[in-house]
Amino acid sequence: MDRLVAAINGKTSDRIPVFCNLLDQGAKELGVSLKEYYLNGEHVAEAQLRMREKYGYDNVWSLFYVGKEAEVLGCGKIAFANDGPPNVEDFVIKTYDDIEKLQVPDDISGHPAFQEPLKCLRILKREVGGKYPICAYITASMTLPAILMGMDRWMELLLIGPADVRDALLTKCSDFFRKEITAYRNAGADVLVYSNPFGSTDFISMKLFKELSLPWMERDLKPVGSQGVVYYCGSARFNNVIEQVIERLGISVFYLSPMDDIAEGKKIIAGRGLCCGVINDIKLIDWSKEDIRNEVRRMIDQGMPGGRFLFGTLVMPYAIPEENIRAMLEAAYEFGRYEKAE
Amino acid sequence: MLAQVIKAYNEAIFDTDRDRALAVVRQAVDSGVSPEDIIFKVVIPAIELMIKSISENFDANLAQHFMTSQIAAEVTEQMIPRFKKSPEIVGRVVIGNASGDFHGLGKRIVIGCLKALMIDVTDLGLNVPPERFVDEAIAHNAEVIGISSMMVHTARGENGCLKVRQILKERNLEDTIKIAVGGAPYRFDHELYKIVQADAWAENGITAGKVITDLIREVRK
Repeated sequence: MDRLVAAINGKTSDRIPVFCNLLDQGAKELGVSLKEYYLNGEHVAEAQLRMREKYGYDNVWSLFYVGKEAEVLGCGKIAFANDGPPNVEDFVIKTYDDIEKLQVPDDISGHPAFQEPLKCLRILKREVGGKYPICAYITASMTLPAILMGMDRWMELLLIGPADVRDALLTKCSDFFRKEITAYRNAGADVLVYSNPFGSTDFISMKLFKELSLPWMERDLKPVGSQGVVYYCGSARFNNVIEQVIERLGISVFYLSPMDDIAEGKKIIAGRGLCCGVINDIKLIDWSKEDIRNEVRRMIDQGMPGGRFLFGTLVMPYAIPEENIRAMLEAAYEFGRYEKAE
Repeated sequence: MLAQVIKAYNEAIFDTDRDRALAVVRQAVDSGVSPEDIIFKVVIPAIELMIKSISENFDANLAQHFMTSQIAAEVTEQMIPRFKKSPEIVGRVVIGNASGDFHGLGKRIVIGCLKALMIDVTDLGLNVPPERFVDEAIAHNAEVIGISSMMVHTARGENGCLKVRQILKERNLEDTIKIAVGGAPYRFDHELYKIVQADAWAENGITAGKVITDLIREVRK
């Protein structure tokens, strides 16, 4: 935790914080199937603790899989794979009439689908609370409809559908977000990754970003505040909206896309927050150790000068060989040492 | 007259304004522009313009890709029944999401573009088993199988493109049926299409129109 706090405050510690987002790998670690793994919060917590200990990075996750949020909102069918993350198989919203029927639970903490994540969080808090940041993943109102009705049908409703239906859905998703972030905070999550690909102009035009995304993000965050909130657009780029996000939302931690220019991102943030440089972790499957080392060095050379920098990954694919995970982390620990940069 | 229609249609497309684009087409037809000219001189060049813009690093966003393809498909559907004679089909394609994949947006963008490019396209849906890709390609006499994957494990997995390739090989169909792939993992690793043994990949749904047209030409050569 000290490394992260130092980086947020523009101070130095022994090295930059390194966030490594290993999720599905937990099943391999415990020697169980992915389905068995994700059905039990104790499994997820145990694997998160073991993997952090084994590799030495600086965070743990309470995230199971993105479809968990859809389960809390009524999805009853998740497709489990043997070699990758589970997927929503049956969408809650099949017709516009289903939007009216969609129920946001009053008490998310008491919802059956939230019990295993809560169990996981309690263990993480007990074991490493205050020592390592505990991360939670929360989908923004503008993006949540994609896992409730499918991305293509959401895009259709968003761009050419009836505005009243769109706004009714967004209102419910925003209400859900506020309750979910509160539930996660109450359960001990410190780092709240606010996931919103629709907060990137890779997804929508700047005009729509200003007219829809920003106001809906304001609605999501205004009553609950941006403390601990991390701006993240999936793998989509967002350097060109950072200024507006700081001004309008007060968010000060930015988890860039691997496609974003890290130096440019840091320049825009200009010391007003923490910049997280994110590696293109899909390439870690096939890169050589030398490729990995060179890429980590390139990223840290761009992001580390001036401090307030964190090295991170996306959601690491299951197929990445363990030795390549180690190669990435060892390079990040080596090149991210503060005394070396100064 | 036609130049004005092209300009107004392109502007509407880039603004993702479906109603305006359809109104431009309606007014053009009412003013005497032929349905054939609407498709071949307005709609298809608009797709080609977007492909060119993307290749020149113009930051077209996903919403523009989606709307370009949906409007193109809608206009094509309206215009074809009014053609003096049925248009020549450029080729046939079957397309679906890889086994285990439930992300249909990219596929839908591709389908819209292919329809406007006069390619006969059969949508196999989500989570398609590899055997079905091949069986349907044979049944529809398709030159190309399109496989969309939004996740690394569905792109690289043993029941994805690799298995489709294996079946094509076993049935000695590799010269007559080509494989095109697309989706997020391919954008993050431009060599991935070779690893999964596809013939080609497309960076986005709009560019897929050109990639697939080129594969059809290769088969028909």
